[in-house]
Amino acid sequence: MNMIIKLNFLVFSLLFINLITAQKSIPNITLQGFNNTPVEIKSLTNNNLTILSFWATWCIPCINELNAINGYYQEWQTETNVKLIAISVDDNRTISRVRPMVISNEWEYEILYDKNQDLKRVLQITNIPYTLIVQNGKIVFQHSGYTPGDEELLFKKIKEISFKQ
Amino acid sequence: MKIFLSIIFFVFYFITFAQNKNYFSAGIESTAQYYVDDDKTGDFDEDNRFRSNNYIQLDYGFRNFKVGVQFESYAPQALLNFSDSFDQEFGIASYYAQYKNEKIDVLGGYFYEQFGSGLIYRSWEDRQLGLNNALRGGKVSYTPTEFLLFTGIYGEQRIGFEVSNGQVFGLNSEINISANFESKNSLILGLSYVGRKEAFENPASMIDETTHLFSGRLDYSGNNFYTKFEYIYKSEDALVEQGFVFPDKGFTGNALLWNIGYSKKGLGIDLTFRRLENMSFYSEREASGNLDNELLVNYIPSLTKQHDYGLTNIYVYQAQPQLSFFPLNKAGEIGFQIDLFYNVKKGTAIGGKYGTKIAFNFSNWYGLDAEFDDINRTYSSEFLSFGDKYYSDFNIEVRKKWSDKWYSIFTYLNIFYSKKYIEEKIGNVNANIFVAETTYRFQKNKSTRLVLEHLSTSDDQKNWASGLMEFYFSPSFSIFASDMYNYGNDQDIERIHYYNFGGSFSKNHTRLALGYGRQRGGLVCIGGVCRFVSPSTGLTVNLSTSF
Repeated sequence: MNMIIKLNFLVFSLLFINLITAQKSIPNITLQGFNNTPVEIKSLTNNNLTILSFWATWCIPCINELNAINGYYQEWQTETNVKLIAISVDDNRTISRVRPMVISNEWEYEILYDKNQDLKRVLQITNIPYTLIVQNGKIVFQHSGYTPGDEELLFKKIKEISFKQ
Repeated sequence: MKIFLSIIFFVFYFITFAQNKNYFSAGIESTAQYYVDDDKTGDFDEDNRFRSNNYIQLDYGFRNFKVGVQFESYAPQALLNFSDSFDQEFGIASYYAQYKNEKIDVLGGYFYEQFGSGLIYRSWEDRQLGLNNALRGGKVSYTPTEFLLFTGIYGEQRIGFEVSNGQVFGLNSEINISANFESKNSLILGLSYVGRKEAFENPASMIDETTHLFSGRLDYSGNNFYTKFEYIYKSEDALVEQGFVFPDKGFTGNALLWNIGYSKKGLGIDLTFRRLENMSFYSEREASGNLDNELLVNYIPSLTKQHDYGLTNIYVYQAQPQLSFFPLNKAGEIGFQIDLFYNVKKGTAIGGKYGTKIAFNFSNWYGLDAEFDDINRTYSSEFLSFGDKYYSDFNIEVRKKWSDKWYSIFTYLNIFYSKKYIEEKIGNVNANIFVAETTYRFQKNKSTRLVLEHLSTSDDQKNWASGLMEFYFSPSFSIFASDMYNYGNDQDIERIHYYNFGGSFSKNHTRLALGYGRQRGGLVCIGGVCRFVSPSTGLTVNLSTSF
């Protein structure tokens, strides 16, 4: 009997270690695209290098970050083929501001709506801005907050990841 | 039995991890506060100076299955101003099991969902506000093609660690009727039904115990132009005033929302019109208008700009969808909001070397124009006519980049706030607010941010001044100090400095924030939902992490 308890303990520990160390992948959650049609986030991130940036129209540092990256975005894309998806967590109070803000700012990113924060909740994100780098469906880097200059570190990280490939 | 369990463990282990097709995440969020006595705002005279709110969320997915649980702990007691319903030192707050493939999504347990804009139904979580109105029951979604979505829900609503007496159920459909799915144009038709069933305590009531809401909406999105229209009808429900249910006074309700916009490079315009009549809707009638925002079935945010600075959050509008005869005659609200975004091109006089971004916003909200008979508690309202003014906010924001290292944002607001109708107190407030903020980057990853604000008004608490200074030492470490000073207050003892200082440290998915200071009492609003808080002074520690 003792043996079985030990075995159970061993299996349970392995299970736990495995759970904790396993690289987190992007769950299959349906978001809304820019023209209100449903989009599966998993299929968008499965076979490429993607930056997911969680933002909202009322979040000043989020807008600072997206404005800052926009200046370098073409350069980043040519060098590493990376794609940025800006996921708005605006709810119905502010959601109507997303579209005019994105287009007037000439942001070249793909925009998705997470209007009831389903993806934000599953990824355990408590504060925005929150930025993730996703490679072939696996989360390889994440960072919360934005301070001026963070975009340079983000790009350094992207280059590291894309050259390892 | 133990052998049996071991076998299950083994099988589980090998199936899931041998293939590495699993998904697992664990998140922890904890906020702890220690309250101290304050010689300006008063002693802390409640139980437990130390309090904390803690959340542990676990999600595990394997192939098409997903399970999750959320533990919550309010030890020894929930933070100041949170609802008394969060009354357990440690408990299972919610859980779910879900199966999802390309066409079918079935969930049992606690869930969050939104129909359309949420004006007919929304359940969501906001930990800062202490709001969680998840339904406990079941949800089924069916997507036969990319053009169609059907969802059915049934459940009782979460309140603290319990659930509501009333049941909520609904059906939602979204039909994409655009001719070509690949094109950038889309036209989506949405039809929803939501019902709430709650027996009356008074058996003599003539009103149906089930209240029905029907919604129809159309959503068009083209290349530059988009528009959205929604209408909701609410069947007869009992009048509730200050928690008292009138079993013989039934009223119907309705809501109308229209949004239209145009945008192109460098320019964005958006206009929203909304009219609400007797549209508050709770899973228990008696909860109507409760200060903790519990048991809300639908989401009615105030449609005003959500400002991000201290003094811009003193006079904040709260949507007024409810019908009441006492203490004030109110039948709902009517009004509009306009947004304009404009980028001044680089190389012009105003645009400068880097361009200048201008955002203009104007919102204007009124009560419905209605005649009230206070004695018989009846009323009649006009459809498109404005009654008493509740709130307006005219504001303009200019973003200017001076160099690669230096940019500023200037904001001006002109606010009208009816204390009478929004807070049911006396008086109106006319205020002008100026905000200037600037960020300067002085080394590769080091920067500083300064915010200066001034609020001037001859009403209410009179003038305020405020300042905030932040230093970012690296992407992961920053400190701040701020002060809001009500220097214009008529009462000497009310001229109080609301000072705060602290710092935050973040690394990968962990963030630790520490702060000490004095909080202003009053209305605190997050995401358009507000609650009244009492002033407090103390130390706050916030930790969030995930695996």
